[in-house]
Formats: sequence, structure tokens, C-alpha cells
Amino acid sequence: MTTLITAQVPPPVAKRRSYGRYAGGKVLGALGSLFFALVANFLLFRVLPGDPARTLGRNRFRTEEQLENFRHTYGLDQSMPEQFLTFLKNTFTGELGISLRYRVPVSDLIADRIWPTLLLVGTSTLLAMLIGVYLGIISGWNRGKKVDTASQSTTLTLYSMPEWWLGLLLIAALAVGIGPFTGIFPTGGLHSTDVEPGTFGYVVDTAWHLTLPVITLTLAYLAEFSLIMRSSILDELGEDYLVTARAKGLRDVEVRNKHAVRNALLPTTTLVVLNIGFVVSGAITIETVFSIPGLGLLSSEALDIPDFWVLQGTFLVATAAVIFANLVVNLLYGLIDPRVRT
Amino acid sequence: MSGGRFVPEAFRHEVREEVGGVEPPHPVVRVRAADTVLRVLVRLLGRDRRRRHSRHRTPTRVLAALGIVASLLALSSAQPAGAADDDKVTFTLGLKNEVDSFNPFLGYEGPSYEAWSLSYDFMVGYSMDDMSPVPALAKSWEASEDGLTWTFDIREGVKWSDDVPFTAADVAYTLTRIINGETESGLYGSYLTNVETATAPDDTTVVLKLAKPNPALPLLPIPIIPEHIWKNVDEKEIATYPAEPSEGRPVVGTGPFVLVEGKAGGSTYRFEKNPDYWGGEPHVDEVVIRVFKAEDPMVQALIKGEVDFIHDINPLQVKALEGREGIKAYNGVSPYFEELGFNTGAVDTETDKPIGDGNPALKDPKFRHALGYAIDQDRLLKSAYQGAAVRGDSIVPVAFPDFRWEPSEDEEFKFDLTRAGELLDEAGYEKGADGFRTMPDGKPIGTLRLFARPEEQHSTTIMDFFSEWLGELGIKSEVTVRESARLTKDIIAGEYDVFHWGWYVESDPGNVVSYFTCDQRALANDSWFCDPAYDALFKSQSSEMDKAKRVEVVQEMQKMLFEQSPYLVLAYTADGQAFRSDRFACFVPQPKPDGVLVMQYGAGNYPLMRPTKDAGDCDGVARAVGANSASEAASSEDGGSNVVLIGGAVVLVLVAVGGGVLALRRRSTAGERE
Amino acid sequence: MTAPLTQRQIARGRRRAARRRNWLIFRTHRSGVVGLVVLSLFILVALLAPLLVPHDTIEVTKATGGILEPPSSEYWLGTDQTGRSVLALCIWGARISLLVGLLATAISIVIGTLIGLMSGFFEGWPARFLYRFTEWFLVLPFLLLALVMSAVLGRSLAIIILVIGVTSWPSTALLIRSQTLSVKERPFLERARALGAGRWHQMTRHILPNVMPMVFANTTLTVSIAILTETTLAFLGLGDPTRVSWGSMLEDAFDVGAMTTGAWWYIIPPGLCVVAVVLSFNLVGQALEETVNPRLRGR
Repeated sequence: MTTLITAQVPPPVAKRRSYGRYAGGKVLGALGSLFFALVANFLLFRVLPGDPARTLGRNRFRTEEQLENFRHTYGLDQSMPEQFLTFLKNTFTGELGISLRYRVPVSDLIADRIWPTLLLVGTSTLLAMLIGVYLGIISGWNRGKKVDTASQSTTLTLYSMPEWWLGLLLIAALAVGIGPFTGIFPTGGLHSTDVEPGTFGYVVDTAWHLTLPVITLTLAYLAEFSLIMRSSILDELGEDYLVTARAKGLRDVEVRNKHAVRNALLPTTTLVVLNIGFVVSGAITIETVFSIPGLGLLSSEALDIPDFWVLQGTFLVATAAVIFANLVVNLLYGLIDPRVRT
Repeated sequence: MSGGRFVPEAFRHEVREEVGGVEPPHPVVRVRAADTVLRVLVRLLGRDRRRRHSRHRTPTRVLAALGIVASLLALSSAQPAGAADDDKVTFTLGLKNEVDSFNPFLGYEGPSYEAWSLSYDFMVGYSMDDMSPVPALAKSWEASEDGLTWTFDIREGVKWSDDVPFTAADVAYTLTRIINGETESGLYGSYLTNVETATAPDDTTVVLKLAKPNPALPLLPIPIIPEHIWKNVDEKEIATYPAEPSEGRPVVGTGPFVLVEGKAGGSTYRFEKNPDYWGGEPHVDEVVIRVFKAEDPMVQALIKGEVDFIHDINPLQVKALEGREGIKAYNGVSPYFEELGFNTGAVDTETDKPIGDGNPALKDPKFRHALGYAIDQDRLLKSAYQGAAVRGDSIVPVAFPDFRWEPSEDEEFKFDLTRAGELLDEAGYEKGADGFRTMPDGKPIGTLRLFARPEEQHSTTIMDFFSEWLGELGIKSEVTVRESARLTKDIIAGEYDVFHWGWYVESDPGNVVSYFTCDQRALANDSWFCDPAYDALFKSQSSEMDKAKRVEVVQEMQKMLFEQSPYLVLAYTADGQAFRSDRFACFVPQPKPDGVLVMQYGAGNYPLMRPTKDAGDCDGVARAVGANSASEAASSEDGGSNVVLIGGAVVLVLVAVGGGVLALRRRSTAGERE
Repeated sequence: MTAPLTQRQIARGRRRAARRRNWLIFRTHRSGVVGLVVLSLFILVALLAPLLVPHDTIEVTKATGGILEPPSSEYWLGTDQTGRSVLALCIWGARISLLVGLLATAISIVIGTLIGLMSGFFEGWPARFLYRFTEWFLVLPFLLLALVMSAVLGRSLAIIILVIGVTSWPSTALLIRSQTLSVKERPFLERARALGAGRWHQMTRHILPNVMPMVFANTTLTVSIAILTETTLAFLGLGDPTRVSWGSMLEDAFDVGAMTTGAWWYIIPPGLCVVAVVLSFNLVGQALEETVNPRLRGR
């Protein structure tokens, strides 16, 4: 009685493609995701209940005719397939439709609102990354010591806080003032009213208004980076090459920076690039609490009407940004590490 | 938790492989190209270079940073930026919503109307006392005997803000566009009901010809637009024409102020005064509107002096602000009422067949009226409105005493569950064996669906209370939440029982009483109320030119509605407003005595307000708030002090960061010394 | 003479021993234990809420306190804008916040594990499609998606749970998938296949138990995210207004102007509760992860 032994077939060696084919494949994939996102976005917002004509015209319109006029003016009386075709056509020509609420082109609205969001979330992500990674390195390298415990507890606590609550507390403490301490920061908004746009003072003024929101978001984000970095470093700690490096006589810090950190940074870099993609989604809650007229707020308010074109536009921009960031990461890695192109 | 990348942090090292769609190289194999990318990052964090000279370089770096900051400060304070201009008086208004369009034909939100009042004028204005017609662009007017011709005498010598003379032709142009235009008639068509033509036989006369009399005239809250600008905007373009300042050219209007900066949906709008305003040069040089997304930050901004006037704050905040020096806060009575609306019988408007699933008991006016005795309005005023509202009864609020009807002592609702029970018994809705009331034919009433709207915080509170009172009466109910958009859909389909909403009432009751006519069902009539007798009264008042007779008819209509109770009016609410009384004064409430100070009809307070230090007796304007106030003028908080504060804070932060970096550095250099 | 142990008994014994070992390792993580204690406290309070504070106390119609009163001997944490005790609201709010967090996580874990297993285990285009689908889901702006779903489906508690569960499964799925991929190549699985194990058997009997420890640790972290999400959704006005949760308390506090009126007792306690619970979950999760993943333990 012989037992059947299935032949041990070694896994096939994957053939490596040229970079061009790899890149091409990734780009196609990205386009596919984009189209998928387009279709889903369109359908998603049509599912929203609500008739914009009635919502907007509650105290104003008196006759059915007025409602119909409104619908006709804004293309709401076309059939679904027609609206979808219009939507596709407009997207590819860069026209994202007319906002039902503000009656101006959606692309203008988005262009206006995107830069506060980018400033706010971009700056915070950058700062959070720098500070967080640094903290993570120190923390992981000195595992178990006081620095680690202190940094860990702080970042974990920050990570467990709703960032808008932190924002509220910061406003109460630093903008409003507690007891005898008057607040120094503005309580919200993006500009003071007495500053001329286009001057240097305007830039400083905007930065000043963004300080508290940026502090809030940075504190909220940095925990993430710190924790990833820490666990990446911990991953590296046991590796042989570090023992080798120490045996060579390198100092601790050198070992850390020249070897461990570089390897541990690789996954963090991936995450960083991806986070940049998410920047566009905007920090809705922070924009609410601090009254920053950004993209996140634009989309959440558009839900009330519902303002279809605005919603589609912002969703599109947000998803496109992430897909693009993903693509960039994939292409970069394909360039850097040929083994990936299987 | 921001945009939402829910990769659990501890597992990033696992997940990162997949999130990028690639696997990072094994750590032992280091690839050259990656080094370049990482080297940049490492250089930012690493300290190989500076390790040896750390103790010397650190103070130098901090000093260098401070030097940069100092020069930044010097530069920014060198910018005049309008802040150093002490003579310019700016009035800053804080609003909770954006202007959704500066085009007077397209906006729906309150702030838009406010913006239009600043730039444009009406032909006929609204009195500050009682919102009755007063001269504005028209000096006087006259109706023919049969009410079919109205003649307006237009003011002379008025100029548009671009110095083009204003004439009656502009008025005729505006009105004609509304009569004929599809988009233009959206907001204003109802005011020109029955008007067939609007013409300007000469530069100072406007003539309206009507097919039937329109008793609401001469009230026409229509911003008059300049023909010479708008004639270039045709039918199709007007639906998206923004009417905003462009290329440095402000918007053209006749109003007290001129829009120089602002975009729909933006957060700051600037208006400069119109020195040639026909009503007299305004006393403030600039009006700025700032949009806030939430109340608290707006209130804080008022306290800190970043804005001068805010409105739409809740009563608790008004109370909190009341005691403060230099701030005046109060609840301005605005003609807004809130009600519980019932589904009195939804039908298909063409076939008259019932639609939806409304509770049959609500079709009976006796049932609805009995419920009026089950509402403790005083309790609601305390819990839901925090004292900032008055009891409501009729659909015409106390703000309009001439048309308003009030129930007599016997008629008015008092909170009396026993009486309510008796009335229900009389109407045949008696309690069954299980303690719950039944229909007259014995079938159970079922559960009443009470829809609360989440957009208003007190909506749920009101419905919770109502549900409890219904329970004590022996009627089952359930409170659910419906957003306004969804609720509108449900109302059109007749799939509701009770909801909570409100209406803003204009000084002419023609609109609000129309909400109960059979024609308005599936439009503004959200209670599906339809009574031929009511419709007959509505028809008669809609062309009744004799004011006294019209008032009589309208009052009878209110009485009918009160008795049949398609709505149970809960309260007339107030608009919480607050302003820096140490900076601005001479506001007049509209209507008297305690109406609102902004968001008024017409130009309102904008031509009237002035800085407190110049107030004097407000030129003898009656009821002006802040007249003769001996309060000191607020110390001007110009941008200069802000910059100093900015500088101080930056320095502090840098020192703190520098110190922290130093401390950490010390610790890790200790780690080097193995 | 004792009968020889069956295969299953051996396996069970081994698992029991492993669990005991893991518990001993877990216990050495002080932070994890602290987290566990705090969590147990909150869960206890949430379960015992009806006994501690009768439901009447949080009903608006029965509110007896003054409006927004500061803490006093009668109301330890003061009152809200309708006169209810803030302490009672916090206690009852714990129920909703914890319930939503746990149930939403359950949904998320179930969906995520299923999809992760399938896309990791199967070959060919179904697996690739599932993977693409997961990736694509991850790319959507989560909060917007949650807003839209709430707007469409309504605002009951069940909907909120569904929304959070449905929008947070991708990360679990990805994790399970990568785990599955690595487990799949292990020799014991090849042996099972050689012995004729069917796919389902392989998945449930072999892969799943090996993946479970990671799932378990991941769960605690997912719960903390779910609770934070519920709080945020409630703050943005999407919660169920007929139920009290910590998020809805913060929303009310913000709407009512707690900063201006200085009602710190309305803003700080609910936030602290959220931080405490989420932090505890995170600490437990971290300690669990270090228990399960030997590489992360001390050198």
C-alpha cells in the first residue's frame, strides 16, 4: 500500500515584466478604478431622497410651474441616462456642472474651497509626519525606557480623542481664554476682515487663523505616524544586520539613523504618500468647528439640498486624488524595486 | 480620525504590504535608489552632521530662527492693510449661513436677501414700526378706483452707483422681466399676481396694469436692478449669472452700500458705502459680512470684538451675553411661527382619491382640535424654547396686529387633559377596555407617527413631550426623526401623521393664508387642508381693495383654521441677536417694539447705524437703540496689536520647541556615550 | 487505565495551554491590564445603568433640574439645556456608544474576515476582483460615504451601526488577506491538501484558527475606531436624536453654546468618557498584539 504523495511542485518563478508593461498595467488599473468610482458616485447621490426644487423653494415657490421652471433650468428634469451622459461628458471636459445651491459652476466652487483644505490638512499631515516619525523612532529605539512610555502614552491618548473635541478644548483654552487668561488665537474663520488680500499681511493673517486648526489636526494625526514608526523600528530591532553594524563599532545613534530608520521608513513612506491622497477629503469636523470654508464642509452641506453636482464633484476630486496617489506609489515602487513587477 | 484610513495602527507593518499593492523589499537587501528618497527624510531627522557641534549650533539656530521671525514681523507691521486706518468705520456682521447668490433672482437663503438689501432698493419700502408701505424709490403711489391701475411717482435725482441716472425705466424693466421671465419670476412672481404690464411713460412714473385687483400692492419687496447692466444678461444666462464684483468693478445698485468683494458660497463679503445714497450718506464706511459655521465660535468672535453684530443665536447664549459690558443681547421678535402639522387627508389632486397612509382619526377636525388642549405651551416655552418665544395661536403672529385674529378667553387653548379627554369622548373617540382610545366605529386608532426634524434641536424635545401627553390621553404615538428633505417627500406622498415645522410670515397675510387652500395641496399646503368655504373666503380677500373688509375676511379665515386645527400653532419664536453696543448704536427694531435689528425688510438699519461715539441722539430717530448712551467707545483693536500677539506667540512656540529639542538632544547624546 | 486522548482532545488541550500562556504574557503588559480594568468598569456601568439611574431621569419630559446648571451636590455633573442630569446622561450614553461600537465592529469583522479569507485563499479572478473591490472601497472618502448612507437610510440606531460596519471592513479584509496569504504557503496546509482536505475545510479548520489571534487583536482596535466614528457622526448631527450617546451630548453641548455659556461640565465629561474607553481598547489591543506577535516583545 503506497500512499499517494502528490508531487511537490515548486511554485513557479514569476516572470518579471518590463517597467513599461508594469506601469501600463498600473495606469489601466487606476483608470478602471476611476471609472468605477464615477459610476458609483453618480448613482450614490441619485439615491439621496429630496427634491432640490422643493427644498430650496419652500418659502418662495407658489406654483407647480415655478417648481418645474427650476427643475428645467438646472437639468433636473432629464431622465437618468441623460443625466449620466451629461455627467460623463462634463467630467471629461472639466465642467462639473452647476451648483444647485449657489448657482455657480461647481469647478469654481471647488477651486475656491480646495486651497483652505489643502493648506489645513496638508500642513497638518506634513508636520504630523515629521514630528510623529521622529517620536516613533525615539520611542521604538528606546523601548521600555521613560521616553518611550511618555511618548507612547501621549500619542495613544491623542489617538483616542475625537479631533474635533480636541479642537473645541483648544478653542476654549487658547482662543476664548480661561479665567484670567485671555485667548490669543482667533476663534475661527480664515481671514480677519480688515486685511487686504494679496499682501504679505494677508498671508500672515491666514496662517494665524489656521494655526489652531493645524495644531489640532497635527496632534490628532501624529499619533498614527508615531505608532507605525515605532512598530516598524521594533520590527527591525531584532534583525541581524543591526548586530553586525554594532559589531563594526558604529555608535548607537548612527546605527539607528543609518540602518534601522532607513529600512523602517520604507513602509511609512508608502503610507505618507497615500495620506497625501486623502488630504483632499478634507477634515470635515475641523472645518465645522473652526468655520474654515473648505472642501469637506462644502460636501457635507451639499447633502441637505441635495446638491447633486457639488457632491459628485467633490467626491470625484477626493477619490481621484487617492487613486492618483496610489498610482504614484505603485509606479515609484516599480521603479525602485524590480522584484515587485511580477 | 480624519479622512478615514482605518488601518489599525498596530498592524500597519502587516497591512502596508497590501495597501501600496506591493511588498517592500526585505530589509537586508537595500536598494540604492530608495536611499536617495530616504536620505532626504533622514537628513531632516538625523543628526549625523551636527552631532559633533550640537552644543554650539543649537543656540545659533534658534537665534537665526528668531531673527527671521523678527524680520517677518517688521514686514507685516509695515503693511497698512487697512488696519492702521483708524478713521475708517467698519461694521462687521456675523451670519451663520452663506449668501447663496448675489443675483437677486436666484438666492434662497436669508443672507442673500440681506446682501441685496445693502446693494439694491425696493420701489416701496417697509416701515420700521409695523412694516407698512413707506416711500423708498417711489415717493408716492395711487391706485385707481377699480384697483386695476397703479401709478407710482418715482424719486428724482437718484443715481446708480456707477453714476448713471436712475429712472422709472429701470423699475419698469425689472418688473417686466419678472412678469415675463421663467427664472426671474421664481422668487417674485407671486407679488405681481394679476399684474399684466409694467410701463414707464416718463422718467418719474411707473404704471402697473392689472387684470384683477391685487390688495397686497403696493408692497413689492423686489430689488430694482439697473437696466443698462442687466440688459446684457439674457434669459438663458440669468440662471447662472452671479452678479458679483469682477475685475475690480463693484456691483451696480442704488442701495446704501456697494458690493465690492464677495463670491456666492464664500465666507467674507465686503460692501463700501455709497456716498450718494438718496436716503443720506451712511455713517459707516464699510460693511463686512463674515460667515460662521456654528454659533459658539460666532459668539466668541463677538466677545473678542472680531465681529460687531450677530444673530440667530439661541436663547441661552443671549442670556449668557446679557450681563456683559459693551454688549447688548436680546431676543428679537420675528414673524415666525412653529406648529404641529397634521395630515388632514392626503389625496391625489387630480382624482381626489386618498393617497398615503395617514391616520384616519386626523381627518376629523374635532379630534385635532381636542388635541390642542393636550399641549402645555408654557412647559414647551420653558423646555424647548428656553423662554425665548411667546405662546402661539393663530397663523398670523403678534407682529402684525392689524390682520391678526386672537381667540377669546373661552376659545383659546389651555392645557387641560381632562377637557381634552371630554372633547374626544364627545367626538366618539372613547377609551376601550385596554385604556387606549378607539375610533367611533370601535376600531383602534393605532399609533400616531410623530416626525421630529433633526435640523432643529428642540424638535425632538417637542415631539417627546407631545408623545407623553398623547399617552396620558390614551393615544399611542411614536417619535421618529425625518430630515426636512425626506419629510417633504413624505408629505407629498401623504405618508405621515404629525410633523413639526414653521413658517415665516410676511406683513401681507396673502401668502400665509394661501397655504390652506385646495390649490396649494402638493405645493405649500402641507396639511392637505381643503375646505370650499375657506377657499371662497380666500378668493374674496385676494381682490378686496377695501382694507377694513379685507381684514374682516382674513380674520374669519384665521378663526376657521383655529377651529378646524390643521395646524396647532405652538409659538412665535424670536431671533437671538447681539451686538457691540460700545461700538455701534442707533439701531431701530422692526417691527416695534422689540423686533429684530438686522435681517429686516428693506434697507433697514444700514443707513441708520452709526458708531457709538458719534451717536448723540441718533438724529432724533425714535426708538433708536443706543441713543444717548454714555458708554465709552471701545478701544480700537486694530491689526497692529494682533501682529504683536502673533509675534509673541511665535517666539514662545519657537522657544518651547527649541528647548524641547535641546532637552531631547541632551538625552540622546547621552545614549551615544556607550 | 486512561483511554488514549483523541485527536480533538489533544488539539483542545494544546489550545488551552496556548491561551493560558498568552494570558500570562498579556498580564505582563501593565498598560494592557489597566486598559482591561477600565473597560470592564465602563461595560459594567453600561450594563447596570437601569439599576444605577432609572430611565426616567434622562427623559426630557421628566427633567427636573434647572437649565445648564453647574455641578452641585444634587447634580454631580450639572444639568443640560433641558434640565437633565449630565451624569445620568453619561451613564446611559455609555450603553449606546458601547453598543454601537461593538455591534458595528461585529459586522465589520464578519464581512472583513469573509472577504479577506476568500480573496487570500482563492486563486483567479474572483479573488482578484474581491481584492480590487476592497481597495476601491478603501479609497472612498469614508465620512462622506457615511453621511450619504445616513441621509438615504435614515437615522435609527440600526442604520448607524450598519453604516459604520459597512464602511470600516476594508482594513480588516486586507489584514486577513495578507495573513491568509502567508499562512497558505505553510507546510501543514500543503499536507492537509495532500490528504484531500477540501477548500472549505482548509479555510475554516486550518487557516482561520491561525488567523484568529490577529483578528482578535485587530478587533479591539476596530471597536475603538467604531466608537470614535459614532461619536463623530453624532456630532455632525447624524445620530439618532431619540437616543442619548456621548456623541449626541457633545453635539447638543456645541449647539447650545457650551463654550460661551461656560458649561464645561457638558463638554468635558462625555469627551473624557470617549477618550477613556477608546484608549482602553487601544491599550488592550496593543498588548494583545504584542502577545500574539513575538517580534514586538522586548529584546
